[in-house]
Amino acid sequence: MGNDGKISARQFLVLLFLYTIGTTILVIPSGLATVARQDAWIGALAGVLIGLGVAALYRTLWGKYPNLSFAGICERVLGKVVGKAVTLAFVFYAFIGSTTVLYYVGNFFTTQIMPETPIQFINGLFAVIVVMGVRMGAEALARSAEIILPWFIGLFFVLILSLSPDLKIEQFQPVMEARPNEIIGAALSFAGTASLPLVFLFMLFPRVQMADQARKGMLIVHVAGGLCVFLVTLFSIGVLGADVTSRNMFPSYELAKKINIGNFFQRIEVIMAGLWFVSTYYKTSLYFYGFATGVAEMLNLKDYKSLTWPMGILMVLYSLVVYPNVVYMQHWDATVYIPYILVMGAVVPLLLLTAGIIRSGLPDGRE
Amino acid sequence: MRIKGFAILAAATLLLLLATGCWNRQELNELGIVVAMGIDRDGDRFRVSVQVVQPGEVAAKSGGQSLRSPVAMYEASGRTIFEALRKMTTVSPRKIYASHLRVVVIGEALARQGIGTALDFLQRDHQVRSDFYLMVAKETTASSILNVLTPMERIPANDLYASNATAEKAWAPIFGITLGKFVTDLGSDGKQPVITGIGLNGDAEEGSNTRNVERIRPAAELQFSGMAVFRKDKLVGWLNEEESKSYNFILGNVRSTLENQSCPNGGELALEIIRTKANVKGHVRRGEPQVEIRLRVEENVGEIQCRIDLNKTAVVDELERRSEDRLREAMSKTIRKMQTEYQLDIFGFGQAIHRADPAAWRRLKRDWDRNFADMQVKLDVKTVIDRVGTINQSFLSKLEE
Repeated sequence: MGNDGKISARQFLVLLFLYTIGTTILVIPSGLATVARQDAWIGALAGVLIGLGVAALYRTLWGKYPNLSFAGICERVLGKVVGKAVTLAFVFYAFIGSTTVLYYVGNFFTTQIMPETPIQFINGLFAVIVVMGVRMGAEALARSAEIILPWFIGLFFVLILSLSPDLKIEQFQPVMEARPNEIIGAALSFAGTASLPLVFLFMLFPRVQMADQARKGMLIVHVAGGLCVFLVTLFSIGVLGADVTSRNMFPSYELAKKINIGNFFQRIEVIMAGLWFVSTYYKTSLYFYGFATGVAEMLNLKDYKSLTWPMGILMVLYSLVVYPNVVYMQHWDATVYIPYILVMGAVVPLLLLTAGIIRSGLPDGRE
Repeated sequence: MRIKGFAILAAATLLLLLATGCWNRQELNELGIVVAMGIDRDGDRFRVSVQVVQPGEVAAKSGGQSLRSPVAMYEASGRTIFEALRKMTTVSPRKIYASHLRVVVIGEALARQGIGTALDFLQRDHQVRSDFYLMVAKETTASSILNVLTPMERIPANDLYASNATAEKAWAPIFGITLGKFVTDLGSDGKQPVITGIGLNGDAEEGSNTRNVERIRPAAELQFSGMAVFRKDKLVGWLNEEESKSYNFILGNVRSTLENQSCPNGGELALEIIRTKANVKGHVRRGEPQVEIRLRVEENVGEIQCRIDLNKTAVVDELERRSEDRLREAMSKTIRKMQTEYQLDIFGFGQAIHRADPAAWRRLKRDWDRNFADMQVKLDVKTVIDRVGTINQSFLSKLEE
C-alpha cells in the first residue's frame, strides 16, 4: 500500500457521516414513498436500525483485523486464491458503485438544472475533482471533509427549520397502514443505500489513527447520518405528501423548492442542492478510493496513485453507459441492486468474520 | 527552456477553449418570460396562449409610462402543450421561459372534457415550479381571460395572482388552488379537486386595448367567481358564492371574511369573521362512515342596520346563536347538494375516514361516491363574538325614535 497519510478518529467520523448521507438523501425518499407510502418515514427508521446492525458487524470485523484493508482480510482469511477472487468481486463492485453515483450526479444536473448541457461534461468535471481528491490521498479528503462539514450542517438546518411550518400532520395519517413486508422492503432499500456501501470503508480503516476512538463513535455517527436522511424523508412526506414524493424524481429538491418565508426567502433550491453535491462528492470519492486501492493491493502494487487517472477515465466512460436510461436506473435500483449490495455488504463480511473466528478464535483487537 | 514555454502557452490556449461559457446559459435578452398561460381546446388539439412580459414596458422609468401594452400575448395550437409552446417560436422572437409563471387559466370547455392531459407537462418540465395558481375561465376561454389589460398591476398575470391571494385572505368564497394542491387531490382516493373560477365582465374586445387601463372604470374586468367542482380531472359543475364559502369553511381555508345576518327584529347586520378553525373527524360505526365537522369561529360586529341593544349580553348571545345557525345551515345545504346532486366528495371526507379507519376504508372506497352520498355528517359550530367595533350603540336607534 502506498503511503497516503493518516487520518484522525474525528476526521474518519466526519467522512462516515457524509458518506452515509451522500446520494441517499437525494434518491431514497422517493423509493421509500413508493413502497410504504405515508409510512415511508417508518421504513427509514427501520432502515437506520438495520444500519446499526451493519455498522456493528463492520466494527467487529475491523476490531479483529485493525491493520488490514478489505483485500488484506480476504487474503488472510480465505487464502491467496480465493481471497484474490473475492477482492476482485469487491473491487468490481466499488467500480460499479462509483460509476452509478457519478451517473446520479449527471442525471440530477441534466434533469433539474441544465438539461441542454451534455452529461459527459458534467460527469467529467465531477470526476476530475474526485480523482484529484483520491490522488491526494485519504488525509487530504478527510481534512477537506472537516472544513466542509459545518457548511453542510448549516444548509441542513436551513432546510429543516424553514420547512417545519409547512408540515401537515394529516399527510402522515393513517400511521402504520403499510404491511410489515413493505416496511422491511423500504428499510432494506434504505440500508442498501445508506449503510451497506460502508463496506468500502474497509480500505480506509488501516489509515485511521486511534482506531479505538473511531470504533467507539462509529455507531452513533452512522445513526446520526441515517437520522438526517430520515428527517428529509419525514419532511418529504409531511410537506409534499406521499403521492407527490413517490412520483417525483428528486423529492428533496422539490422540497427545497417549497421554501418560502414571507415571499422573500425563496427560490434557493440550487443553494440547497449544495447539500447533495457535497455529500455525493465524498460518496463517489470513497467508492473510487476503494476501487483504486483495492486494485493496487490485489495486484501487489506499491502505490495506487499511478492508477487514478486511467481509472478515472474508465469511471467517466462507464458512468455514461452504466444505465442506458433513467427508467432502467430506477428498475435496476429497485430490483437488482438490493440483493447485490446485500451479498457484498452483508454476506461476504459475515462470512469473513465467521471464517476468521473459526481460524483464529474470537476477535481480541490484535493479531 | 523554449520547449517548456511553448508547452505552457499551448496548455493555456487549450484551457481557453474551456472558458467559452456553458451550454445552458440563459441570456436575459433572449428569454420571453411567461407570467400566465391559458389552455383551451381547439378541435382535438390544445390551444395554448401565453402572456409574455415586455421588458421595456415594465422596467421602472422616469417620464411617465408609455402607451404600449406591458405584456404581449402569443397563441399556438398543438397536439401536446409542449408542441404548442415550441411552435410559438414561429411568431415570438424569444424562447418561452416558464420559471416565473404566476397563473395558469384553463378554458371551461377544456375543463369539462378533462384537464389531466394538459397538466402533465406543467409537472414534468424542469422550468415550471408548482407554486402558481390554477383557475378555470368561467363560461369563456382562457385566451379571452389573458387578453384583458388590468389597472393597478401593469402585468395582468400579477393582477390575477395578487387578487387571488388577497381575496383568499379576506373573502371566504375564494381560495387559491396551486397545481401541487390540485394534483395531490387528484391522486387521492378520498377527495375530489376544485379550482377557483375566473370570469370576464364587460367588453372583451375593448379589454385587450391599452385604452382599457386609461379609463377610470375599465371596460373589461376580471372577477373571481365560485369554485369549479371536478370529478377526477373533469369539470362537472360550479359552486355558487354561498356554496364556495361553505366549502372553504369546512376545509378550514377561511382566514377572514364577513357574514351578513338578519337582525332579530328585521334589518341586516354584518359580522366580520376574523379567525376560524375547522376540524374534520371521520369514524366508522357499525360499518357506516360518519364525519363530524367542528368549526370554531371568532367574529366582530362590523356593521349594523337595525335596532338592537348592543349593551346587553343577551343580545350578543342571541347574535352568536343566529350566526351559528346560519353557518350550520349553509354548510349542510352545500354538503347535501354535493351528496344528492353530484355524489362527489370534494370535502375530503373519504380522506378523514381513511385516516381514522384504514381497514374500513379499503372496503368503503370501492364505492365511495355512493357511500359518500349516504353518509351522515354532524356539524358542531361554535362562534364567539369578541368586539363590536369603535362604537357600541348605533346612532340608528336614535334615528327612528
